Amino acid sequence: MKKALIVLALAIACASMVSAQTINVLFWDDAYPRALMEKIPEFEKATGIKVNFEILQPPQVFTKTSVSVSKDHTDYDLVCVDEGNIPLFAPLMLPYDQWGPGKVFKKIDPNTVTPAMLDVAQWDGKLIGLPINGNLYVWMTRKDLIENKTYQAQFKAKYGYDLGVPQTLQQLLDEGTFFYEKGIVSGGFGPFNGGPAGVFGEAIYMWNSFGTDFINWVNGKPTLVIDKAKGVQGMEFYKKLMKISPKGAETWAHVERQAAFCADPKGVFSMFIWPAQIASYEDPDKSLVANKIVYSAPPAGPAGRFAIRGTWAVNIPLASKNKDAAAEFVYWWASKDIAAWLVEQNTVPARTDVLTDPRYAKSKPWLAAIADSMQYAAARPRFNEVAQVQDIVKKYWIMGITGQMSCDDAMQKIMDETNNVLKNAKY
Amino acid sequence: MSSRTQSIEQRDSTRLSGKARGRAPFLFLAPAIIVVFAVLIFPIVFSLIVSTYDWPLSEGAGARSFVGFDNYINLTKDPEFWNSLKLQLGFIFIAIPIELVLGFAVALLLNREFFGARVVRSLLLLPVFFLPILSGMTWRFMLQPRYGPLNTLIVNLGGPEVSWLGNPITAYIAIIIQDVWRMWPFMFMLLYAGLTAIPQELMEAAQIDGAGFWRKLRSLTIPLLSPTILTAVLLRIIDALRVFSEVYVMTEGGPGSATMLFSLYTQRQAFGYQKVGMASAMAIFLLILSIVFALTLVRKNMSLDVLEEKAGA
Amino acid sequence: MMSTPRKKTRKIIVNSIIAIVAFAVLAIELYPIAITVLNGFRRDIDILSGRPFQLNQLTLRSYQLVLKNVGFQVGMKNSIIVGILSTGISVLIGAMASYGIARFHFRGRNGLAYSFLVLRMLPQISLVISLYLMFSAVGLRDTIAGITLAHTSFNVPYVIWLLLPFFTAVDKAYEEAAMVDGCTRSGVFFKIFIPIVAPGLVVGAVFAFLNSWNEFMYALILTGVNAKTAPVAINGLLGGETLTWGQACAAGTIMLIPVFIFTLGMQKFLIRGITAGGVKG
Repeated sequence: MKKALIVLALAIACASMVSAQTINVLFWDDAYPRALMEKIPEFEKATGIKVNFEILQPPQVFTKTSVSVSKDHTDYDLVCVDEGNIPLFAPLMLPYDQWGPGKVFKKIDPNTVTPAMLDVAQWDGKLIGLPINGNLYVWMTRKDLIENKTYQAQFKAKYGYDLGVPQTLQQLLDEGTFFYEKGIVSGGFGPFNGGPAGVFGEAIYMWNSFGTDFINWVNGKPTLVIDKAKGVQGMEFYKKLMKISPKGAETWAHVERQAAFCADPKGVFSMFIWPAQIASYEDPDKSLVANKIVYSAPPAGPAGRFAIRGTWAVNIPLASKNKDAAAEFVYWWASKDIAAWLVEQNTVPARTDVLTDPRYAKSKPWLAAIADSMQYAAARPRFNEVAQVQDIVKKYWIMGITGQMSCDDAMQKIMDETNNVLKNAKY
Repeated sequence: MSSRTQSIEQRDSTRLSGKARGRAPFLFLAPAIIVVFAVLIFPIVFSLIVSTYDWPLSEGAGARSFVGFDNYINLTKDPEFWNSLKLQLGFIFIAIPIELVLGFAVALLLNREFFGARVVRSLLLLPVFFLPILSGMTWRFMLQPRYGPLNTLIVNLGGPEVSWLGNPITAYIAIIIQDVWRMWPFMFMLLYAGLTAIPQELMEAAQIDGAGFWRKLRSLTIPLLSPTILTAVLLRIIDALRVFSEVYVMTEGGPGSATMLFSLYTQRQAFGYQKVGMASAMAIFLLILSIVFALTLVRKNMSLDVLEEKAGA
Repeated sequence: MMSTPRKKTRKIIVNSIIAIVAFAVLAIELYPIAITVLNGFRRDIDILSGRPFQLNQLTLRSYQLVLKNVGFQVGMKNSIIVGILSTGISVLIGAMASYGIARFHFRGRNGLAYSFLVLRMLPQISLVISLYLMFSAVGLRDTIAGITLAHTSFNVPYVIWLLLPFFTAVDKAYEEAAMVDGCTRSGVFFKIFIPIVAPGLVVGAVFAFLNSWNEFMYALILTGVNAKTAPVAINGLLGGETLTWGQACAAGTIMLIPVFIFTLGMQKFLIRGITAGGVKG
């Protein structure tokens, strides 16, 4: 009897040891994690840790993380959190300084992460997980158009300065109008009017560029600090850009933007892109403009240059029972070798040494632009009610820029309703 | 008159024998009741409890606290809530009648044999089985200006290029068209099945009596078909009340909140704003609304007694 | 029967007109699906060209990619299993309950029938969180059994209501005759009723299968790597940040194949069941 019990106990111990070697991982779905999936067998072989890899669309990653991670229970050993939701999940995640040292792969020094990205995972003076991709606004301009001699001459004659990659918003408007009015492009500009988070990004970009923040933390609570006049200016300017955008642009999300930029024979002159999508813009099977794009930092407004950030951090839930194995996986992922391999797949990790590696300067022209953008990285405000505020901004922003409502009224609505949300929140 | 007496007699006879049968009905009903209790009643009771709490979806957002009826009170003050309710009811009352008329007309048309009849009847059902998210995405794609196949078709026929999803009214029309497209064949199928079950002799007798098409329709087909029609409408209402993924991928509720149907707004409250308490209050509200719906519709037209009366007639 | 040649020609003309109209309706109705199916064979760049029927560059690449996608493979397999299991269970349980409601008079009968209906009206969003907590507690999360149970929960009420008109329409005489012959209650149900309401069962089964096959919200929240169904896998190809239209259309077309077989087969069954004279008008 006793013997049987010991055997049973041993069996359970063995079983639990085996199960400790499996980690459940939840990531967002884009080219970057998908590229990584191809490499996972190598990690499994090197460490003996099996990886259950689940990828979902970003809003569903958020939903699932919300539902399945709590203080004392989690279904995942590793999750990813986007910048805006770090405050929400910070109390449930293991701070990076408490992650284990790593057995097969060495613990990653946070300083290898580009400083602009590292900020993403900072909350309350602690590093909550490790930023894993280098995602922030990068500007795309059609090289074939700005290098065309005829257009150069015509543009100079009309506007008095040289046609080139737009360095300022005014230049973007001038050049976009030039090509749009001549019927050379379907759109001089490609707005983003899709999901609330993305529209919020566009609004913050314009507001920052015209010299005002939207919400800041003041005395320990998020406070509306926007300067209305400047906010309206930013919105009015975007309205002008909408006028040179293709028909239907008022509902554009990523898929439609890509369709217009890449598959429309006339295309779009200039717009922002998340680096995660570059791979498919440069894929000749999907894009007529592969190898015809110049990448740069976003054009500057009157108040300076800003590049909105959209980076994911990977986090280990406090409740995870496989923290060391999960950490091991991150150390492998963030290692120089894997990062270099990911760059070769046209995706963008967050390691400075790889992003600035001269080996890639020629074949991956966007890397230099990303590095440049990083100097101007700007964050969207983060607080727990951000989803509600995003919806408000999206609703009235689009009404303002499409002329369903005056920009002044739209701005006032945004301010009033945002104040309402912040008032009702318990700060 | 005669049918009523008959049905009363019938009921009496069943009642008498019913006693002798003892627990038989419950043996038949038990499995369904068990499943429904486990997977429907429990979540509803749970929702009812949650609706009295301030209950953030993620624990990271703070503690859960009892707030009584605050969620319900806040709902009534929320213009977006009333907006979503209005849009939802509009959606049902516009889409379903169109689907019914279309389905009925085509069922009448196809209720005969002709070359390829079976293939047509079968293939008509494909949209019903089309993955809703893919349907929503396909419509979104088709309606795009410049390259959307539907928009290019309209332009080729001399129509204007419309940014369907960019305008509040056309976006609402678009989500209704999408639903009608997907679901009228459902009506067609149920009504067709009902039509084929009407005895041919009845129709022939009416023909001999000299009844025209409309007269036959009004006094014979529709009355005989009414239980099927009501079942079909009821089943459609059930689904239309919960319509979600098609619209979500088509418009995400926009522009503004022009297509923010009830379950889209519920979803937003729970998974966007993390307010599960509010979302649960909305669910309870919808539950009450559904009960009212079901009672008025079913009691008047489709209670079991009426069904039996029809069957006995 | 006594048709003169003239009558015959008229009939042929009428039938051909109806056939033309019917095929026209079908063509309009299937236009979006035709586009989806075609797009599964086209490159993304051609899909967005604005020329939906330009077909000079067809490719199987999207299918290759989709079929190689492990997530989609697992999803397909799970979808088939869950669809069949939940359909079978719901039709059996639902038919029994529908019979119970239609054929017995007991107190609370109407109330019970309505509750089945009303319960089905709630949006899944409002139930899914509590289901998630419950499934987590009893170990049903991310299991085939769990997602089958969830799908059964909404299919049972559906089947009950779909079948009610069928059961109430069955002539009492059949039942009584059988009872006199010494048949038991369950004997009556399985031997007399089931064959008679077979067309209804087929319709019920098909719609139950459809509900399960296309269900998204429960599958998204209640399953993970192991038990996820095809719609969740396909969702990854849709509405993401980059274009995978070709693959999404290919996956959608694959999802339509069993449905296609199903509908064609069912038509035959439906007609046979009805013409066998089972259902009384």
